[in-house]
Amino acid sequence: MTIRNVHDCGQRHRPRVACLKKVEALVLEMQDPTSGVKSQTQRLVITTIPHALTGEDVVAWIAKRFNVDAAEGCAIGTMMVAFGYIYPLRDHKRLILKSDASLYRFQTPYFWPAQQWPVEDTDYAIYLAKRNIRKNGVLELHEQEQYNNLHKWLNHKWDFIVMQAKEQYRAGKERKKPDRVVFDCQERAYWVVHRPPPGSVSAMDLGLLRLIDPNQEESETSDYFRRIIIFTEQCIMRPRVKSSVSLGAIVKYITTYKLHDAFLSPVLPSNPWLTDDPAYWDLNSLTIDNPTRMRVERWTFSFGELLSDPRGRDGFRLFLKKEFSSENLAFWEACEAVKWGTASTIHEKAQQIYKTFLARGAPRWINIDGKTMEVTVRGLKHPHRYVLDAAQTHIYMLMKKDKYGRYLKSPVYMDYQRRATDPEAHNFTETQLAQNAKNRRPSLSPIILRQQEEEQQAKLEASGPVDLTQVMSKLDKRNMLKEGQK
Amino acid sequence: MNRWRRSVGELQARRQQVTECEQALAALSKVTACFQQMASSLGSNTDGSGLREELADIRAMAHRIYTGLHKRLITLLTEMEQRQEDREQVERLWVLFLSSLETFQKDLQKTSSLQELFPLTQRRDRSTLIKTGYSGGSEVAARAATVQTPWVSGEEERCPDLQKQISRMDSLLQEMLQTVNVPVWTVEATQEAWLEVGKEEHHDDETLEDLMQVEVISQDSTTTGCCHHLNCRLGCLLCLVN
Repeated sequence: MTIRNVHDCGQRHRPRVACLKKVEALVLEMQDPTSGVKSQTQRLVITTIPHALTGEDVVAWIAKRFNVDAAEGCAIGTMMVAFGYIYPLRDHKRLILKSDASLYRFQTPYFWPAQQWPVEDTDYAIYLAKRNIRKNGVLELHEQEQYNNLHKWLNHKWDFIVMQAKEQYRAGKERKKPDRVVFDCQERAYWVVHRPPPGSVSAMDLGLLRLIDPNQEESETSDYFRRIIIFTEQCIMRPRVKSSVSLGAIVKYITTYKLHDAFLSPVLPSNPWLTDDPAYWDLNSLTIDNPTRMRVERWTFSFGELLSDPRGRDGFRLFLKKEFSSENLAFWEACEAVKWGTASTIHEKAQQIYKTFLARGAPRWINIDGKTMEVTVRGLKHPHRYVLDAAQTHIYMLMKKDKYGRYLKSPVYMDYQRRATDPEAHNFTETQLAQNAKNRRPSLSPIILRQQEEEQQAKLEASGPVDLTQVMSKLDKRNMLKEGQK
Repeated sequence: MNRWRRSVGELQARRQQVTECEQALAALSKVTACFQQMASSLGSNTDGSGLREELADIRAMAHRIYTGLHKRLITLLTEMEQRQEDREQVERLWVLFLSSLETFQKDLQKTSSLQELFPLTQRRDRSTLIKTGYSGGSEVAARAATVQTPWVSGEEERCPDLQKQISRMDSLLQEMLQTVNVPVWTVEATQEAWLEVGKEEHHDDETLEDLMQVEVISQDSTTTGCCHHLNCRLGCLLCLVN
């Protein structure tokens, strides 16, 4: 029994997929006997089945209907296949529309995707049990895993599932053979869309669920009105900017970032989401020695860009070490750790920061003005997440106005520019793309990545900060030695 | 009254009722499976008033079965004798019945919305029916018609129309969850995983891949090593024929 009658806040509402109704209207148009898509017969060994469509016919129809070119028509057709309104008869796991003579067929409305009803695990379990009965236990690997999971979680209704699977199997056998083949293809296509095997990309993979039911009308209670009032008050209080100014800012942003946006310009060597080749991610990883040219260029855009890229921060840290002002960056990073860390560690981290950076005579004393120092020290008596915000902003501005400009002209940065890699674009053929899709492997586990990060952090700290008191004491010792010698 | 004094007759009557309920559950399963098979043709080129009438008949049959089963299970569960062996079995039947009703209700909702989407009231509505490749036939309806309720019928009400049936089923499910206190998680499956494999007899049943083999036209003569060796053998035969 699914606990469906309980209204839970467990985020089970799926995002609105308003395009489904539009695609349905399109599919209905395609059925017209005079102006719809031409249908052909599919010849099988045992029989012939009518109502098959070729990919090129579908693409041509869509292109004529919407007055677009063939590539766009192919993209729209692929969307229809990805949603499950049309399914391929060959190569059923790849949900794309090929504009050649490969055959497709319309999915029956019973198996169309619907926004208001989620696809239930019970039905999937029944389907898997049916396939088990039919194929004598030969399921694919991911299906076997799902089967075992469902057997564990739906154990209380497992008898019902097996009983229903047997009955559906027997009812299916009553039909004529061509109808059986068609129904089996339809069911298989339905489950490829809603439980995609690894390597398929389906459009019904909707991701995170919402907190509220988008199909339900909101009742106008006092809470609702309170929310509306707060919202409108905040709208009035918001600072406003002339549209010419904001548009100018947008234009500036776009011209700067145009070549760096993966949606607008092609990514070198190739976009891994499109070609399944992770070379781009490897070349842009956090631990690489020679960053790519695009990455190095992005560091010149703004100081924020430099700091947000960990590799950029490494270079900046090196530069600051040479200038003996690395405590600024270390302080900034420590403040970030407080802001983003766990609440239980805030107190001790703040104390550590005070001892290392802020106290009088601290080993890595930072130079902030008196007022900010006073405010910060007072706040540290009762530390919270944002207690070091004022000091952090001050140091950020200091670094930005002074060090950032010097960094971009420094030999460290010039070195990066010289060593920057310029990857060549991949040009994959269809077969290579299919091969890449087969070779997809999961990346490193986040646990391993975190361990690597922590190792790096430890190495950094072991290499020793420039301790001001030590430096001063060394200088003192040298002076005293000189005087001693005199 | 001391329970040891219960008559043998009472025990036998109860056991017979439980077997009746099990048979009814099997019948309900059969009927809902047939309903699902037929509902998959709604909106396709084989859709028509005939199909919808057959669906209504099957619905009515299901209604008869589940209302009767509901009454009987309620009486079995509320008889307050705490005998363990019987109780577990009846609770198991209760949970299976609940799941069965939920699945059937979902099918009914889908049917209702599909019938709205493809109204079929006018001749030109038939041009928007989806060309799915079906050729139609009422074999499944015939199978559903062979199902009988294990008890003597006659005392039930008439089957309501689709919308009313859905809303009544909603209230029925609500009521079922609230009246009897049966913890769902205590029911365990009686059979292990993977046990249903190979139990059904399939005389000439091939896999979908075998059935989908396309006839090889003699034009592509270069590679006879296509996907399946069975296919190739036939391909060669066709070549010989040509």
